[in-house]
Amino acid sequence: MKKVIVLMIVIFLLSGCSSGSSYKGVVNVLNWTSYIPDNVIKDFEDEYNIKVNYGTYSSNEELLAKISSSKEGTYDVIFPSDYMVELLISKGLLQKIDKNKLSNSVNVDRTFLNQTYDMSNDYSLPFLSTIVVMAVNRNHLKDNISSYNDLLNEKYKNNIVLIDDQRIIIGMALLAKGYDMNDTNIYHLDEAKEWLLDLKDNVKAYDSDSPKTFFITEEADIGIMWHAEAEIAKEENPNIEIIYPSEGHAISTDNYTIVKGAKNINNAYLFINYLMRKEVALKITEEYPYISPLKITQKSKVSVDHVFSKGFYVKNIGLDIKNYDKLWADIK
Amino acid sequence: MKKNNLFKFICLTPVIVYAILLILLPLVYILFLSFCESDSYGGIIYHFTLSNYFTIFDITYVKIFLKSSLIALSSTFLCILISYPFSIFLRDKSEKTRNLMIKLVMVPFLTNSLIRTYGWIVLLRKTGIINSALINLNIIDHPLNLMYNNLGIVIGMTYTLLPFMILPVSSAVFKIDQSLIEAARDLGAGPISIFRKIIVPETISGVFNGSLMVFIPAIGYFFIADILGGGKAMIIGNLIKNQFLTARNWPLGSAISIFLIIVTFGLVQIYKKLGGKLDDLGGM
Repeated sequence: MKKVIVLMIVIFLLSGCSSGSSYKGVVNVLNWTSYIPDNVIKDFEDEYNIKVNYGTYSSNEELLAKISSSKEGTYDVIFPSDYMVELLISKGLLQKIDKNKLSNSVNVDRTFLNQTYDMSNDYSLPFLSTIVVMAVNRNHLKDNISSYNDLLNEKYKNNIVLIDDQRIIIGMALLAKGYDMNDTNIYHLDEAKEWLLDLKDNVKAYDSDSPKTFFITEEADIGIMWHAEAEIAKEENPNIEIIYPSEGHAISTDNYTIVKGAKNINNAYLFINYLMRKEVALKITEEYPYISPLKITQKSKVSVDHVFSKGFYVKNIGLDIKNYDKLWADIK
Repeated sequence: MKKNNLFKFICLTPVIVYAILLILLPLVYILFLSFCESDSYGGIIYHFTLSNYFTIFDITYVKIFLKSSLIALSSTFLCILISYPFSIFLRDKSEKTRNLMIKLVMVPFLTNSLIRTYGWIVLLRKTGIINSALINLNIIDHPLNLMYNNLGIVIGMTYTLLPFMILPVSSAVFKIDQSLIEAARDLGAGPISIFRKIIVPETISGVFNGSLMVFIPAIGYFFIADILGGGKAMIIGNLIKNQFLTARNWPLGSAISIFLIIVTFGLVQIYKKLGGKLDDLGGM
């Protein structure tokens, strides 16, 4: 009996080894949660015979902590957002990207390139973008809503859900007041604070995880949320209208970057080049309706011109972040 | 004798190593960080400063401390209010019933607290079970706002931390000598004076013990404030979390954590002054 058990354990262990060693290489990827469908990764593994070690994070700050605390060479490809790309470059944690190795980079729409966070795209190439929009449940609200200032209407008491992100929400208040989304002038911030205090009674909740749920359960009728989230809510409830605020909106772009000291550089290029194929991008955006920077028919209904003509990136504002944080504590 | 010591040493080593590596060292690191400055990119400048501790006393943060304390106090009070009748009711029951009931209190707590908190959303939201039931019974016309406000946070905290109050309070209530209560009855004391003059004084250390165990986590459980409070009320837990994540100001986050530890020590000292035994805090 004992022998049988030992034998079974040995077989079990061996089978575990063999399935792991049939790949000819690996690539260590760290990406946002719910961002690339599993079958897209699987197809890459089958095609190139390269194993993808896929890890996830849920905020840029978590990514920064993981990259700066782990040994060089632990990760190959990561997907930081705009301002985090700038920060990672300044900390010397990324390496330059050789675009000659990415034949599919010709698919990228030029509008998405040369953004402020990496002026000549030496270190990054755009993967997916999204913007902040207003979602309104037209079943309950017929009013004309086009500006952030319309949210201050007393009728909407306890009826608005906002994403729980201090830079985006304070940025929204600054835009409503006619200032730059990244303004650090303390008088302008004071006005933004007053604006948010005026809005306070109308706010039902701050939620970044799943603001769409508030629409599905009809808990709130107005939401400030990421565009992809609003599109998913709209699939569930067709009465939701997506509105692009007249003052402009925050954009966020996540980017392909290669970590300094990456051990599997060639595999990293293969992986990025694979994701830049048009048909792969279509598969990804079909499942997660973000805006792809590739020249494909977007599932997302927002026009690329609109994204950039009225869009603003969250920028690194140095120590002024302390004033933002205090303001955030004040309005909560 | 010698053998016995060796055995003790072998048994204790893992615990000591664990405590030093995972509790003491991080605490020392946090204490150290709280005297540093932060740079604009969330890094740490190793330059001695007390400014983080002064920042805590900024009116903005003081307000958050007060609000957190109020929420935690309300939750503690509610826990006491629930624990007393429960314990007094169980006092007259058989040992078997008592054990069963205490086990029933504990069983839900084997599930992850985050999941249980999400469960409350189903009960409390506008179209949730409680509101639907009340509307269908014609008790109310409009749904009550049971969550996404401070009430939701207090409900969540009370629910999550209730066992920490029930266990010490019930064990204190069970220990009261039955003859004391009988004597009081013989002398003509009604239920209220029995409660006031016998049960309360006999169980006050259990209540204080439970209060510490409820109050302290209740100022820090940011996930309950986020889920049931709708992220609208910032409690100390959120404030600390924000310093480590969005604001990338680890030194300030550390200073607030240290401040919280000092407050906790202060409360334990008061507990000791009132005659409580430290053993009771850990030895349930």
